[in-house]
Amino acid sequence: MLKTALLHKTGPQVAQEIHACIGCNECLLVCPALAEPITIDVLNRETLSGTISAPVARFARSCYQCGACVAPCPVGLHRDAMMMLIKVRLLRSARES
Amino acid sequence: MSKSSKELPDTAASWRNEKGYPWLFLHIRHTWGVGLVVTLVVIAISGAFYLWYSQSGNDTSPDSTAGLGYAVIGTIFFILAALLYSLRRRSRRRAIGHLNVVLNWHVFFAAMGLVVLFMHSFGHFEAISGTYALFGMVILTISGLVGRTLDHFLPRLIAGEVDKVLTLQGDDRIEVVSQELQAIVVYNTQEMRGFRVEDPLRAGVPTGSPIPTPGSPPSATNGQSLGTPWDLAYISLEATQQELDRAAPRHRFIPDKKSALTRPGALMPGAEEQISELQDMHHAMQREQFYRYLIRYWRMLHITLAFITTGLITWHIIFALNLMLPRVFH
Repeated sequence: MLKTALLHKTGPQVAQEIHACIGCNECLLVCPALAEPITIDVLNRETLSGTISAPVARFARSCYQCGACVAPCPVGLHRDAMMMLIKVRLLRSARES
Repeated sequence: MSKSSKELPDTAASWRNEKGYPWLFLHIRHTWGVGLVVTLVVIAISGAFYLWYSQSGNDTSPDSTAGLGYAVIGTIFFILAALLYSLRRRSRRRAIGHLNVVLNWHVFFAAMGLVVLFMHSFGHFEAISGTYALFGMVILTISGLVGRTLDHFLPRLIAGEVDKVLTLQGDDRIEVVSQELQAIVVYNTQEMRGFRVEDPLRAGVPTGSPIPTPGSPPSATNGQSLGTPWDLAYISLEATQQELDRAAPRHRFIPDKKSALTRPGALMPGAEEQISELQDMHHAMQREQFYRYLIRYWRMLHITLAFITTGLITWHIIFALNLMLPRVFH
């Protein structure tokens, strides 16, 4: 049986990371799932709350949690965990509608 | 308008609120379509030439002119598939979205290489190095396709599991439910303490208390000593010592064996739902971990297979050159 560990991040933790983001775009530059140009500030703004635009939703669905975005981040943030939160929001929005 | 502002998705259409996470989402980009068309064209041309060449009575062996042509083209495709993506990932010259384009070409080149190298074999699948190399490539390509499929579905499964362990506000639900459970346990513990019998000596109860103490002579409720012989107890209307003990507060929570109170958790009403929720969340986290392991280790398997296939191809090329070079020079 697998020993469980908290692999995802909670909303407050993601909020902290978004506030710490310096907007260098390194995570987006190394992402193999991102197929269209989006800006880091748009992504950060839509991660926690508010509307999710079509490009960000497409990016979130395409993200396959490979973790390539984590190593290049100069401040050690976890973009994959932020993307997971958008995925959860998309999932919940489907249930609500 | 500059090129960069053209590329940004600031149009009204793109800003509408996007909802839902379907299982079979497919975002077809222009570059993906171009890659698919090129792949189909290359396969169609190779296939048409294969049919024409086979039916024209030419030499259909892997080391014939056409067979060697297929071998060279297929190997080039495979080298491109292997090198383009891995080199681009390590490159310093990067732009947003380019790695995705290269990843798509990695898949298309692998598909083209596999089909062309199949044609190179001309249906000869003897137990020789070329066959092993071809089978290695087949397994490698299948592992890549399975990996892409896992990359498509597993993150959605992970999102479903994460959804179970986060509250609507995004907080940790395990923490919330644990606090509720703790509150229930504390409340029930206080309820139980409410029935505890205090030590009569500490509480200042007079010595003539009806509650028997160890070593003291048995007494009835009125404080009268129970000094009567044992056989007279059967005809006495007074409560026996056992009946008095059963009524004492300290024994009120001792149920008999058939009582509903003997069920596990019966003395902790309200806690079962929380414990069940915690178990569900524990299982959800285990599944999340398993899906993440599957994504990671499938990628490692694909890379390992790539190294093994490269070795088999190298072995086959050396073997083929050993056969062909003496023929060329003599």
